[in-house]
Amino acid sequence: MKNLDFYYGEHKALKDINLDFRDRHVTALIGPSGCGKSTLLRIFNRIYSLYPEQKATGQVMLDGRNVISNDVDVNELRSRIGMVFQKPTPFPMSIYDNVAFGIRLYEKPPKSELDDRVEGALRRAALWDEVKDKLKTSGMGLSGGQQQRLCIARTIAQKPEVILFDEPTSALDPISTGKIEDLLEQLKADFTIVIVTHNMQQAARISQYTAFMYLGEVIEFDATNTIFMNPNKKQTQDYVTGRFG
Amino acid sequence: MTDHIVRSYDADLESLRRSLAEMGGMSERMLGDSTVALVRRDTTLAQKVISADQRLDNLQRDVEERAVLTIARRQPLAQDLRELISAIRIAADIERVGDLAKNIAKRAVAISGQFSPPHRAVIGLEHMSRLVQAQLKDVLDAYATGNEQKALEVWHRDGEIDALYTSLFRELLTYMMEDPRNITFCTHLLFCAKNVERIGDHTTNIAETIHYLVTGETLDINRPKLDTTDIMVEAVAGR
Repeated sequence: MKNLDFYYGEHKALKDINLDFRDRHVTALIGPSGCGKSTLLRIFNRIYSLYPEQKATGQVMLDGRNVISNDVDVNELRSRIGMVFQKPTPFPMSIYDNVAFGIRLYEKPPKSELDDRVEGALRRAALWDEVKDKLKTSGMGLSGGQQQRLCIARTIAQKPEVILFDEPTSALDPISTGKIEDLLEQLKADFTIVIVTHNMQQAARISQYTAFMYLGEVIEFDATNTIFMNPNKKQTQDYVTGRFG
Repeated sequence: MTDHIVRSYDADLESLRRSLAEMGGMSERMLGDSTVALVRRDTTLAQKVISADQRLDNLQRDVEERAVLTIARRQPLAQDLRELISAIRIAADIERVGDLAKNIAKRAVAISGQFSPPHRAVIGLEHMSRLVQAQLKDVLDAYATGNEQKALEVWHRDGEIDALYTSLFRELLTYMMEDPRNITFCTHLLFCAKNVERIGDHTTNIAETIHYLVTGETLDINRPKLDTTDIMVEAVAGR
């Protein structure tokens, strides 16, 4: 990510962002509300292009291509960059179809292969054992934590390269949160993960790199251990120790 | 440092700092008093040191419990986490200083009725103890003011104390060889000297903790320490 600026109409929400996200690592974005972390996350998969007044300039390179340039096929991009939101967003359809949906968007595998991939994704999302006997029931009937894992299963079924998490556990109880964190630990072996979180301890637990953002700028970006144990900037220190925010 | 948004958090940390300052003051007094008790053969003063140790132990347990509780309640990070870990470490070091001072006081009681060697035998120990008291005071000041430079100076000076201990060892050995009636007394003095030297080591531990607290890094250089084994072997051989 190089010299990235982002505008909501006239308002410049991100200023000259330069960050390297390492392949198969977890990078956490932290900072007070309104600092631009979610905005930054939404640039990766071009959600912002739904709104004509929003504009990004600069470079966000994925495999040698700038994802914010106009010639990028947004649908294809989103199959490579999955996203999980704060509130679980299962579709009003069966558990099976929720997961199969993402696969069917881009390919038409035979039924047996589709079954395998749905099962594989649910297993990887640590949900299979809880739902294997009720795949045909609605995904809306699951608990919040299960719904969130269902969304993760739907995302990984598409075999993306990058998964974006926007506060994936802020609406969940501690046990569901623990399961999601455990899952993230497994997923980083295969995916590049970027997570926005307000929970500092969570960022410290699950990420290898952390960027601290404030007022649309990256104040400090370093190994997570450095950010949380011995940050270089006073603003970072004040934020992680609860002195301002 | 700016205050926390949650004010009671600052109050927790502040009260820990105060308890540590109190512990530090007590340990300084105990070392000073135990040395005076030894030199003057003052058993009343020695008893006072012995009974003070219980209170220091209680304070240490209290600091440790409160630090652990703060970690559990506030999930501290960065400077705050280091501060709490440092408080636990420093409290443990000070508590050991108290134990060693108490041991000196006990020996002061034990030798009070003993045959007395030349007075100069205790002068060396008194001198060494005074140096260590200064070290202890400096390192506690460095902690109270967050002065990492001052802590490092204490750390470097510990070599002098080790050297002094070695020469005291030689001296006491000489007295014992001169007159076997000195042996009991001088053996106790030797243990006292060892205790003082150990207190010096605890002050360097505290200095290392201060370095960690302030910089976030552990000191990875080796402390300048004279290898005294050869000297001691020679001394025992009477060379």
